[in-house]
Amino acid sequence: MTELEKKIKAKIPGEDTGIEVRHSLCAICSPGIHCGVDCYVKDGKIIRVEGTPDHPLNRGKLCTKGSSLRNYVYREDRIKTPLKRVGERGEGKFEPITWDEAYQIIAENLNKVKEQYSAHAVAFFSGYCKWYRPILHRFAHVFGSVNFGTDDSTCFASMYIADKVTAGTGGGPDMGHANTFLGWNYEGYYSNHLSVAGVQKLKERGGKVIIIDIRDTPATKNLADIFLKINPGTDGALALGMAKLIIDNGWADMDYVEKYTYGFEQYRELVQQYPLDKVAEITGLNPDDIYEATKLYATNGPACTNFSASALVHHINGFNSHRAILCLTALTGNFDREGGNVPNPPSYIHKRAGFRSREEEFRSNRYPGGQRRIGAERFPLWEAQNDEFQAMDLLRQIEEQKPYPVKAVVGLGMNAKMFPETDKLLAAMTKNLDFFVNIDLFMTMTCKYADIVLPACSSVERGELKAYEGGYLAFTKPVIEPLYESKSDVDILCELARVMDLDDDLLKQGYEASADWMIDGCGLTVAELKKTGQPMKVPTAKWPAKPGKLLENGFKTPSGKFEFYSNAIAAIDPKFGLDPLPSYRDPLADQNDPETREKYPFYLCTGARLPHAIHSRVHDTPWLRSIRPNPTVEVHTADAARLGLQNGDKVALSSPYGEIRMLVKITGKAKEGVLMTLHGYTEANVNELIGRNHLDPYSGFPGFKGMRCNIRKVQED
Amino acid sequence: MKHVFVFDQDKCSACSACMMGCMDQNDIDLAAGDQCFRKTYDNEIALADGSTYCAYISAACMHCTDAPCIAACPVGCLSKDPETGFTVYDNTNCIGCKSCAMACPFGAPRYRASDGKMVKCDGCNERVKNGLKPACVCACSFGALTCVTEEEYKASGSNKACSALIDQLGLKKK
Repeated sequence: MTELEKKIKAKIPGEDTGIEVRHSLCAICSPGIHCGVDCYVKDGKIIRVEGTPDHPLNRGKLCTKGSSLRNYVYREDRIKTPLKRVGERGEGKFEPITWDEAYQIIAENLNKVKEQYSAHAVAFFSGYCKWYRPILHRFAHVFGSVNFGTDDSTCFASMYIADKVTAGTGGGPDMGHANTFLGWNYEGYYSNHLSVAGVQKLKERGGKVIIIDIRDTPATKNLADIFLKINPGTDGALALGMAKLIIDNGWADMDYVEKYTYGFEQYRELVQQYPLDKVAEITGLNPDDIYEATKLYATNGPACTNFSASALVHHINGFNSHRAILCLTALTGNFDREGGNVPNPPSYIHKRAGFRSREEEFRSNRYPGGQRRIGAERFPLWEAQNDEFQAMDLLRQIEEQKPYPVKAVVGLGMNAKMFPETDKLLAAMTKNLDFFVNIDLFMTMTCKYADIVLPACSSVERGELKAYEGGYLAFTKPVIEPLYESKSDVDILCELARVMDLDDDLLKQGYEASADWMIDGCGLTVAELKKTGQPMKVPTAKWPAKPGKLLENGFKTPSGKFEFYSNAIAAIDPKFGLDPLPSYRDPLADQNDPETREKYPFYLCTGARLPHAIHSRVHDTPWLRSIRPNPTVEVHTADAARLGLQNGDKVALSSPYGEIRMLVKITGKAKEGVLMTLHGYTEANVNELIGRNHLDPYSGFPGFKGMRCNIRKVQED
Repeated sequence: MKHVFVFDQDKCSACSACMMGCMDQNDIDLAAGDQCFRKTYDNEIALADGSTYCAYISAACMHCTDAPCIAACPVGCLSKDPETGFTVYDNTNCIGCKSCAMACPFGAPRYRASDGKMVKCDGCNERVKNGLKPACVCACSFGALTCVTEEEYKASGSNKACSALIDQLGLKKK
């Protein structure tokens, strides 16, 4: 082998090897992250991916999923052309059609539903991807439908609303100035890998780390000074018990409480119901450990707290658990204070970058009104606080067609596996929808039910507006041409807007014009951003966020204060039984009758993160799938011994709603009686086991992480 | 300049990003039966006191100074790169006898069924020679896996010994 051949084989970039490094971003996980990537490109193909060393967000780091980006992009199940269904819904039989044909069919069918029923009969729904949402949101409204919904119906929004009705806003942990980090449900190694360095730094300067989690993890091993291995779903009780300890021991910041909070007396009465022995009993923790952790948190301040978008709020008591923890930050004077939790509103699509965009205005200034959104009657707090429909009511409304019919769905990455009782949703869609179009990268189970399927391209094949921490904004450049006939989601929507001649010049002008409208006034334009494709400093950005603004100017709540007693919740019709205080109820409260207890004695927790998976997005990415090739249920050592289970045994997991098969992995990491699985497997979709009404009444979120189930060994294949 | 892989198990989470980096660099075709040159382990070890120790480990070729695989190969495929110190190979003459894998205390060389030859981690020798980090090190976000020069390794090694000994004294530090 010549020296040049060696270099080509080793993928060394350079003019001699013809390998060029081009910059983009990885969009596999949440938009709160989206690391910068260096794609090594040769002959129009990506041959290797690394983190961009000088990217302001990730500084060269990539997680497990990002490191497999090439394998994700070139997956064999990528959709290659627009497709038209020729078989039955769900059968997966399609024929390729042209983009023009596809647009015509979509336009015709959506207009037909609009004429026959109303524009609201078309539900626009986005799966996990967020980057195109302003365009889709506006599209729905301009078309005339109030029904724009997303995966936020099961992710993030519960925390967002809980923050909003308590403090007007949430606050991120100010790790750089904290002495104690309360890592509630914190597992940075498995999700948010970029956060680990901050915790390590805090420890290096003598800071203390408390982690509260239901299982042993690398974070509990490598980072925790105190680890509370809590009974799943009982976090709210622990937070109330900690509050009682803090008040009783004189550790509360009463000056802060008096000046900046509302409803302390009622809150104090509530927490008095949670003495240490009772809390220890509920949470399965040692009272001394609870005491030590609480003392450390309350007396070794400033202390910042980790909040998660899904871990806690995926319980039917999760909304209030989140509020109960948030209340601790005010009780100890850590909210909106340096080293505590500091509010920092997002600039663009969930990203905090220190400047204001017109994203909200772009999304909502064409809101058509004229009808209430899907779910409005069941989830009044959601309806009052969030400007999209609560999709956990979509199945009911498609089945019952009440209070008004839903006859068409426009899905972008719509994934029915996200919904409890998935098969019921697909059956209802099959039976009652006149039209269903889904846009995706991959031929998913859900796509197989669509009448028209359109191929989207990945993040490395498109240009995308993206804000970053530190006051940055970027408009990425595609590093390769879109594969096959795929297109960028936003181009699909804007082209469709033109074909349908929607009454909106912005959408018809396209994504870049819309992006320019949204960032107008920030000091940069799309044209300027496109020159480099790399993050640029936004001239108007103020970074970092200074704490104390709310304390000085008042909270954005009805009382102008941090509300232990939420006025926004108190305003909801009492018939819904929503408590303005962060009261606690059992995570299985709807399944605790003696018969269900006996038949389904195990606590099923789904979707606790593992590093090689995120929802169903990468289960079919071969490199990642190789880490855990089979759908697996983690069973505690003692339970396995009792049930006579060995590693690799095939078992049936069952609930009153369904049954799936998985393989056993025996572990001591979670507690006895708890079964843990990943979600999103087509061949073992654990959401079939979650009841459609097993929902948090405050947010409408399903109890994905707390559900009764049973397990038994099966012999057959 | 000679290089050494250093693994710090107190920073590892067995997240397997290192494996992804390795497969990306080496075009590992899992469908064809290829195996990644690096492997992570997430093992639970039951301790005498009834508790469990969670071991998170990443392992590949250790690039031993006195590498037994080199001597074990009957056709002389394996050698030391004098510049980097990595155990490298040219498997043109490989007969697929697996002697190298058997001689290796870590079982690092892999048999590749698609062409009947042995393959292994070469430390990303060519990348390192070109001033780049090995792919697995590049993919490690947590500093658990690093690749340093022999000089750096010697320096850090003495620090490690000092911290370990101080820790053993069990002093109640301020």
